[in-house]
Amino acid sequence: MQSPRLLCIALLAGVSIITGCTTQSLSAPVVRFDRQVNYGDAKAVELVTNEFGSSDLQMIAEKMTGSLLETGIFQGRPTVTISTVKNKTSEYIDTTNVMNSIQTTLVKSGKVRFTRAISEMQPGVDELQRQNQSGLYKQTTTAKVGQMTAARYSMEGELTSIVKQSAATKDVYYKFTLKLFDVQEGTIEWQDEKEIRKTTKR
Amino acid sequence: MIFRMLIVCAACLAVPAQAQNHDPATPPAVAAKVSLRGDAIGVRVSEIRITRPNDILVVQADFGNAERTDRMVFYRFKWLDAVGNQVGDGESWKQMTVLGLGQQTVKSVAPAGIATDFRLEMYVNQ
Repeated sequence: MQSPRLLCIALLAGVSIITGCTTQSLSAPVVRFDRQVNYGDAKAVELVTNEFGSSDLQMIAEKMTGSLLETGIFQGRPTVTISTVKNKTSEYIDTTNVMNSIQTTLVKSGKVRFTRAISEMQPGVDELQRQNQSGLYKQTTTAKVGQMTAARYSMEGELTSIVKQSAATKDVYYKFTLKLFDVQEGTIEWQDEKEIRKTTKR
Repeated sequence: MIFRMLIVCAACLAVPAQAQNHDPATPPAVAAKVSLRGDAIGVRVSEIRITRPNDILVVQADFGNAERTDRMVFYRFKWLDAVGNQVGDGESWKQMTVLGLGQQTVKSVAPAGIATDFRLEMYVNQ
């Protein structure tokens, strides 16, 4: 007669050990409404759709910077500028973002110096003119005109895609090609590709 | 008796979840460089090769699947400096399918010359 009672007590004791003490959970220091919003891992594999996404951008940047650093082409910290990055896919993709990631990693590696790209030139010219033509600054402190360092290498990229679709499957193949040209000689000194295949099945 | 068994079960649940269950085919020297989350489920890292061309650490790792079922593996390299601090912001996670009884080689290059060590973080889709 006593065994079922003992069993119940033992089960209850076990459950309380497993689940821990039944104290009220503490609230996190956040303000939010009904919808569930959370910060996630920016480096996680993004599989929301098979369109170009953050993981593709990160994988391209990592492959290109790794390949560039490994070759040793940046011996002596040469100067590099970013030229065009063509998006030949059917999607809207901000290719500047890919090049920014590549540039950031290369600058942080300390192996290379970047000069202003064409798109970044106007703010630099404006600042030089402000310092030299406004009459506001001491002559000894102004940046001199005509002293910019020209780039030895120019970086050019291209992103293409091939999309195949059937009733149940969509396959997207991306290829990012990056070339490093010697500006003076016009020769390709380094080139690499990153291929990405993404397949969606219904 | 039952009460005692329940306590033992509770103690079993208290074993740390991050215990590394490397495949037996992963050599101990390789396993020391691999940070595995969960079970390997037949996926082994058979070899890791390290080179340092142009003062940059380059690592290649061979993954193998001992079973006939395809396995989805998530991995990334973590780069460390001489005192064990992480170099850079960390790589992005990569997804890779290792076909049944197949092999895959992955490669990564350190983001800076100060990286002198690494860990291969991996997770096999359970």
